[in-house]
Amino acid sequence: MMEKKGRYLPPLLLALLVVAVVTAPLYLHREKEYKSDRFLMDTLVSIRACGRDEEKLKEAVTEAYAEMQRIADLSDRFPAPGSAAYKASDVCRINENAGIAPVRVHREIIEMLLLAKRYHALGKGAFDVTIGPVMDLWGFAGDRPKVPPQGKLAEALSLVDSRKLIVDEQKQSAFLERRGMKLDLGAVAKGYATERAARVLKSRGVASALIDAGGNIRVIGKNAGKRPWRIGIKDPRKSDGIIAILSLMDGSAVTSGDYYRYFETGGRRYNHIIDPRTGYPAAGNMSVTVMAENAGVADCLSTLFFVLGAEESMELAGKSGGADIFLVTADRRILHTPSLKGSVEVRSGEDYRHDQGR
Amino acid sequence: MTRGDKFLAAAILLTAILAIAFPRLHSSLFPVATSSARAVIKAQGKIVREVVLSDSGGRSTLVVNGRAGPSTIEVEGKRIRMKEANCPDKICVRQGWIEKPGDSIACIPGEIIVRIEGAAPLDAVTR
Repeated sequence: MMEKKGRYLPPLLLALLVVAVVTAPLYLHREKEYKSDRFLMDTLVSIRACGRDEEKLKEAVTEAYAEMQRIADLSDRFPAPGSAAYKASDVCRINENAGIAPVRVHREIIEMLLLAKRYHALGKGAFDVTIGPVMDLWGFAGDRPKVPPQGKLAEALSLVDSRKLIVDEQKQSAFLERRGMKLDLGAVAKGYATERAARVLKSRGVASALIDAGGNIRVIGKNAGKRPWRIGIKDPRKSDGIIAILSLMDGSAVTSGDYYRYFETGGRRYNHIIDPRTGYPAAGNMSVTVMAENAGVADCLSTLFFVLGAEESMELAGKSGGADIFLVTADRRILHTPSLKGSVEVRSGEDYRHDQGR
Repeated sequence: MTRGDKFLAAAILLTAILAIAFPRLHSSLFPVATSSARAVIKAQGKIVREVVLSDSGGRSTLVVNGRAGPSTIEVEGKRIRMKEANCPDKICVRQGWIEKPGDSIACIPGEIIVRIEGAAPLDAVTR
């Protein structure tokens, strides 16, 4: 009996030894994932990065958060006047000096303003970062948003005009020409900050990462399984539903929807994306997702296309240079640019009409 | 060593190397029970609770202190939701139940995150 048992020992030990020797390098060089969350820019930001050296990943991710925080501080519109945060905010200083004098600001603010002016021109006023006075009346930033009285709304709307936002690249200054005008970078700052964070990660040698800034997605490379990242697009009417799945590499997907921030009164739904041409919430779409390499561009475009009609958006997407759109209209039609065909999987079921071949 | 021993050694060796080198094969050879998932609840940067979500688990509630005050989280079988919150916007409450790995509820003013752990079918969701 004893002898029989002992006979199995040498081959077993030998096997274990070989296994250890062969797999040790695999273990040591295996890809690690570093993940963390931060509450930033009024949303939850999650960054996950994959690579060999966990310490380095952690450093890169921490630096990416710091960069986002810096952009957030520069563009914050709501710190208490006179506070340190107020003085540190370029946007507050520009607003305070509206109708008075140009203000020297950080390069990042200049970049955001130029981006915003470009899409103001492209959308013929359907995208406008001087929407501040109108946003304040609706009160979406506070606890109790409400429909503003018509007279006041008309007055605020007369102050909205990006052509009166003067950006001087040489002097690195910005100026709102009329007193009472107010910048609101809500439609660009989060995307821009996300893009800056992605640049930080890349410059630190991170070759695989995903930044999720409250549903604004930016990816670098492929996922931990060496495949394109699989990104769901939320169903605009089902709380935990997915309407489509995107394959994404080295790019961003940003969605503007009517279902996240809204209020209801008198049987009507009022969402937080205001059409700068009318002063009222845009009502033509439930959700618009834009895929573009740059998350700042995708953020601006998703807002612009949400405001514009579906057909006009599809046409403009072609002209806006490498951007793809996936949109769900208020009458439950799904449209997307033809170039998305190979990288989107629609899962709408019977709730929506998917117009193929658009 | 007999021929049988050598065969046994080779078989063990091969299986072990394959299993370690290819984690996906590993998990299919040694399936882990997936009937119960786990929800991790974070408040103000710290993990405050971990809850097992399983069909056999009944209904229960727990209170978490967020930045905006106490919030009530409800667990019912495999589902979890923010039942009541002290935050001004109540977006977290409006989101309703979540039950799939990778799903999460975030209360921004309260700095509370409820996330279901496990192998998620998607890397992220744009919304």
